[in-house]
Amino acid sequence: MPAYLMSSPDGVPWLTLLLLSPLLGMALVGLAGALRWDDRLVKIGVAAWMGLPIAIAAVVAAGFSPAATADGQGVVQFAEKIAWITAIRVDYFLGVDGLSLPMVLLTVVMAPLAVAASWGVTERVKTHFALLLLLEAAMIGYFVALNFFFFFIFWEFSLVPAFFIIQLWGRENRRYAAFKFFIYTMAGSVGLLLLFQVLYLATRNVGAPTFDLISLGRLGQGLAVEGTTGTLREIIYSYMTKIGVVRMLGANGPYPLLYTSIAFWAIFVAFAIKLAVWPFHTWLPDAYSQAPVGGSIMLSAVMSKMGAYGMLRILLPLVPDAAHAFAPVMGALALVGIVAGSFGALANVGGDIKRLIAYTSINHMGYVMLAIAAAAAGQVGVSQDSRAIAINGALMQMVAHGLSTGALFYLAGAMHKRTGSWELSGLGGLRTVAPTFAGVMGVAMFANLGLPGLAGFVGEFFIFRGAWATLPLFTNLAVIGLIITALALLLMYQRIFLGPTGEAAHGFADLRPAELWATVPFLAILLVLGVYPYPIMNLFNAAALQMVAVFQRVL
Amino acid sequence: MTFFLQYAWLIPALPLLGFALITFTPLRQSKPASTWTATGLMLAATLVAIGLLAAVAGASHAVVEGEGFTFPAPAVVQRFAWAPAGSSTFSMGVYIDSPVAVMLAMVTITATCIHLFSIGYMASNPRQSRFFSFISLFTSAMLLMTMADNLLLFFMAWEIMGLCSYLLIGFLYERPQAYRAAVKAFITTRIGDVLMMVGLVYLWTQAGSLALGTGEGEIFNPEFLKRIGSEPGMLGMSHASGIALLLFCGTIGKSAQFPLHVWLPDAMEGPTPVSALIHAATMVAAGVFLVARTYPIFLADNGTALTVVRFIGAFTALFAATIAVAQYDIKRILAYSTLSQLGFMVAALGIGGWVAGMFHLLTHAFFKALLFLGSGAVIHAMEGTVAIEKLHHRDEYAAQQTAQDIRNMGGLRTKLPWTFWTYSIGYLALAGIVPFAGFWSKDEILAHAMEDGNFVVYGVLTLAAFLTAFYMTRQWLLVFFGAFRGEKPVVFVNTEPHPVGHDDHLGHDDHPGHANHADAHAAHSPWHESPTMTAALVVLASFALTAGLFNLPFHNIPGSFWLARLWGQEVAEINWLVAGISLLVAGSGIAAGWLAYRSAFAAAQDTDPLDARVPGMFRLLNEKYRIDELYAASFGRLTAILTLAWAVLDSLLLDGIVDGVGKLTLFISRVNFIIDDTLLNDGPDALASGTNAVGRQARRLQTGKAQDYVAYVFAGALALAMLYLYVIKK
Repeated sequence: MPAYLMSSPDGVPWLTLLLLSPLLGMALVGLAGALRWDDRLVKIGVAAWMGLPIAIAAVVAAGFSPAATADGQGVVQFAEKIAWITAIRVDYFLGVDGLSLPMVLLTVVMAPLAVAASWGVTERVKTHFALLLLLEAAMIGYFVALNFFFFFIFWEFSLVPAFFIIQLWGRENRRYAAFKFFIYTMAGSVGLLLLFQVLYLATRNVGAPTFDLISLGRLGQGLAVEGTTGTLREIIYSYMTKIGVVRMLGANGPYPLLYTSIAFWAIFVAFAIKLAVWPFHTWLPDAYSQAPVGGSIMLSAVMSKMGAYGMLRILLPLVPDAAHAFAPVMGALALVGIVAGSFGALANVGGDIKRLIAYTSINHMGYVMLAIAAAAAGQVGVSQDSRAIAINGALMQMVAHGLSTGALFYLAGAMHKRTGSWELSGLGGLRTVAPTFAGVMGVAMFANLGLPGLAGFVGEFFIFRGAWATLPLFTNLAVIGLIITALALLLMYQRIFLGPTGEAAHGFADLRPAELWATVPFLAILLVLGVYPYPIMNLFNAAALQMVAVFQRVL
Repeated sequence: MTFFLQYAWLIPALPLLGFALITFTPLRQSKPASTWTATGLMLAATLVAIGLLAAVAGASHAVVEGEGFTFPAPAVVQRFAWAPAGSSTFSMGVYIDSPVAVMLAMVTITATCIHLFSIGYMASNPRQSRFFSFISLFTSAMLLMTMADNLLLFFMAWEIMGLCSYLLIGFLYERPQAYRAAVKAFITTRIGDVLMMVGLVYLWTQAGSLALGTGEGEIFNPEFLKRIGSEPGMLGMSHASGIALLLFCGTIGKSAQFPLHVWLPDAMEGPTPVSALIHAATMVAAGVFLVARTYPIFLADNGTALTVVRFIGAFTALFAATIAVAQYDIKRILAYSTLSQLGFMVAALGIGGWVAGMFHLLTHAFFKALLFLGSGAVIHAMEGTVAIEKLHHRDEYAAQQTAQDIRNMGGLRTKLPWTFWTYSIGYLALAGIVPFAGFWSKDEILAHAMEDGNFVVYGVLTLAAFLTAFYMTRQWLLVFFGAFRGEKPVVFVNTEPHPVGHDDHLGHDDHPGHANHADAHAAHSPWHESPTMTAALVVLASFALTAGLFNLPFHNIPGSFWLARLWGQEVAEINWLVAGISLLVAGSGIAAGWLAYRSAFAAAQDTDPLDARVPGMFRLLNEKYRIDELYAASFGRLTAILTLAWAVLDSLLLDGIVDGVGKLTLFISRVNFIIDDTLLNDGPDALASGTNAVGRQARRLQTGKAQDYVAYVFAGALALAMLYLYVIKK
């Protein structure tokens, strides 16, 4: 293996085990179904089983050396690479680096909360929990797969359980929401699929056909890959020349950039839809609000991050020149999303709490998009640190947003269990009868709006710091989102908990111990990471720093 | 002595421990346990802070002869790696220098007094433990901010204070007025805060760190300051101007300077100790401290930033003083007075009077906390009077507002003697009468303005000082002199929905010895002063009386210029002309107040003498220049319109496109289906029926659930993969 790949230090295929563990759990649920076990037992069993992926992920995190870099990139660790379909050079290739490990950790940590939130499911319980496990497996697979073939399979495959969770256990308008969600994402990724066919052919043209994301990324960044010469841009251009496209379109002007730009848009649209970048965001409020709470948690906490991760894994490394060229466009879309998300949340202050949280997610993912745009934007002279800080901020924001939004959705679900409604009207004064509930929701809300001392702030601050260096105007305007989102969340809180105790307070029980302990770990992590973010940020800092180096070189 | 330097971090840690204990342990069940835990830990922090001040002051301090401001050298700096940031690391820690040591002592002393006061004051509130948990967290954040070694930590603690301010303004959250004021405070200050954050981001980008200090890579490095002062940045300003102005936006929000001042008067909805601690002595002064702390950046540019600072400060000082003249609510008068005094401090920094501004910050903290606590004692007693007691049973909010109306008071001098005497000290200190604390610090500001030739600032501040003496005399006379008017009060008209009937245990605050029955109350006099409350007043009064000694402006008296020397700044000797004019102005303000109000208000319903003479003007001032209404009609409405516009854009246009594409696809596929069905279908039918037969057999394997199929496929693929990888291949 090249120096930038490192296999598991003890030889155990930990990532394969990690990927299989939820699937094994799913098989056990199936077995329980065949044996007609009690639903309650299955629930407890699945909740306990969720500890296994966490334990394996912890082993991976413990064995991970964050500072390791080699040949111009963060070292991909725990790599498993085995030829799979030799005819088209597909490898079974798993591995984690600083960009994917935080996402893996987020996935395994958030899944138990989704299970806790699904505790009240009464219909087809086993199927529901099996689907949650399947969704977890697909997401883990997505974050650890490093060959496009598997990457794409997991990408598409994660839609399936999510679709059924929305479709079968969702709210009144679930069919519409589930189809919109599924079709939108699926349609968006067609370009991505086609692009990789072309990339395969283009690399075959120079004698090294590959679907390997790491190799393609290295080629894109102009780093050396064994068996090939030239950058990805040159490879694509020579292939386009060979098949005659260049002759047809003319060879003058910035033409190599034209082809990488086409590639850029194919990749960008696929991931922008997942990340709910404006104007590709309209599926999100429907999906988040119509899904059952467990589904909302998985969708908002983890699945939306798949888009951002895809951009970091594929978009920036493969076509850095086009990413640089279109960075202002990405930044502008991010800005519009930030503002639109915050005002969208404000518009729902008198309405549906889940839609409100969904819009704040659009707002928060706007910051992530801004950071990614900022990492690619600007002059070559801008310090590499600023770009790395932007990426650090984006990853931190993703982790923090997953935790806080997950907790908020969970609590919204707990509220719904008590009032039977998702509406924010008709509530008020609940703090008097449910002080613990109010306190816990308050912490989750303030974490979400980026209060210092909680992790969300660190992400936002680093994003602003990183983005300031390259996109100062957009960064300045993005502060509108910070104010309006805060207003929306505070008004939401006020409508639920403050004011004189009204009708809704009768019989509204405080948080039960089980509910309290389901949320406390997440709030505790938010607090710890907000006070001392070093451990988590150290995971990705080195990889981010290496990744942005390309924007100091090419262009 | 090194103990105190080494363990300075204990100062914020002790109140934080108090917060944690009260919030997360069963301690919260018991009021006495939680209140005394918080107060005890606060007292311990005070002792450490005083020890630290002694340790820092122990080093010798020479008079600095040079002109201008020098950033004091630190006594101790402790840092740890907080977050990686690209190739460098962001460090956090504590940075103690002499101004910090003084601030820590002031904050801890004031906070301890206010904790002590709250033990008595909040005793009847069922949520007293929560109150102490919040003020402990607040104090901890304020102390942490003060000793922060970098501006990010400063900002983080600053925001935590904002959170506590939000929680405590809305402490009586059943009241619509309270939670609305809380949201208003949070959002208004956040406008300033996010701009400040942009300033921090800007500064970090330029300097490569946010660490305080003059060393290499730190933000007050002389070469760095010279560079940002000369390099052009945004909008034709130098980097230094841009950064300084953005940072100053934070001050405008936090210290409630015009035009973001609107939140502070509303913040008086919080319990009175909160007003004293957060909205008078410490948090609002943090904005001033921010400018003082980042002063080298303000000095680095060509004067643009300081000009803005100067004019905002002076304008706010006068503007708020005029509003205070026409208010009836005892706390709101003090709130506008706070705005005005903060304006003095900001203006002082704007004209280069760093020591004067900081000195005024310290003295103001003591006497304004004293005045607020005194007003609390007054309100506390007023709420026990018969008329208000009765009102309380119908509408507790109206009762509280009625109890705060100075028209309903009068003659309390003899009824509340301790409160009267201590309040009088605070009053004279604020009015600027020698030898009370406020005189010395305010005079130093005025002298600085005069000597530097800032005559506009001098004139405006002098006028504000006159008004200060006037409105405080008005308040003092109406509260403590004349006959008690509370038997027939001006009743506050509550336009908000409020709980009907007697709702004793919800949102019931500020109310002493309130027995369950009004009848049981007949024998009980409201005019008593609790020992803990009085103790707090006495301690603060002694500081309000003597804090001027810390920086006496005389060369021939030993111990003079103590603060200036301690801080390593140039000393400013007394300017007899300015001092004389100041005393004259304060005296005439008092005289004018006495003339106008000595015999006004025989009954609570009487018209204010000013209202009688200039009704239009009085109304305008009483309604605070209608700025709240202006904001509601402009920014409020703009936000509502934008919200609606985005919602429409989303649901009609963007979703319309998405759904349209979906429908179009369906339509095309339907057309396609018709073509297929009629033209291409008949031939393959035979093949299809054959397939059907096979399918019928295979169907037995199927459960009919789509999700099962998917699971089979996926599990099968993976199982095969495993088999291949780990069995066949090896």
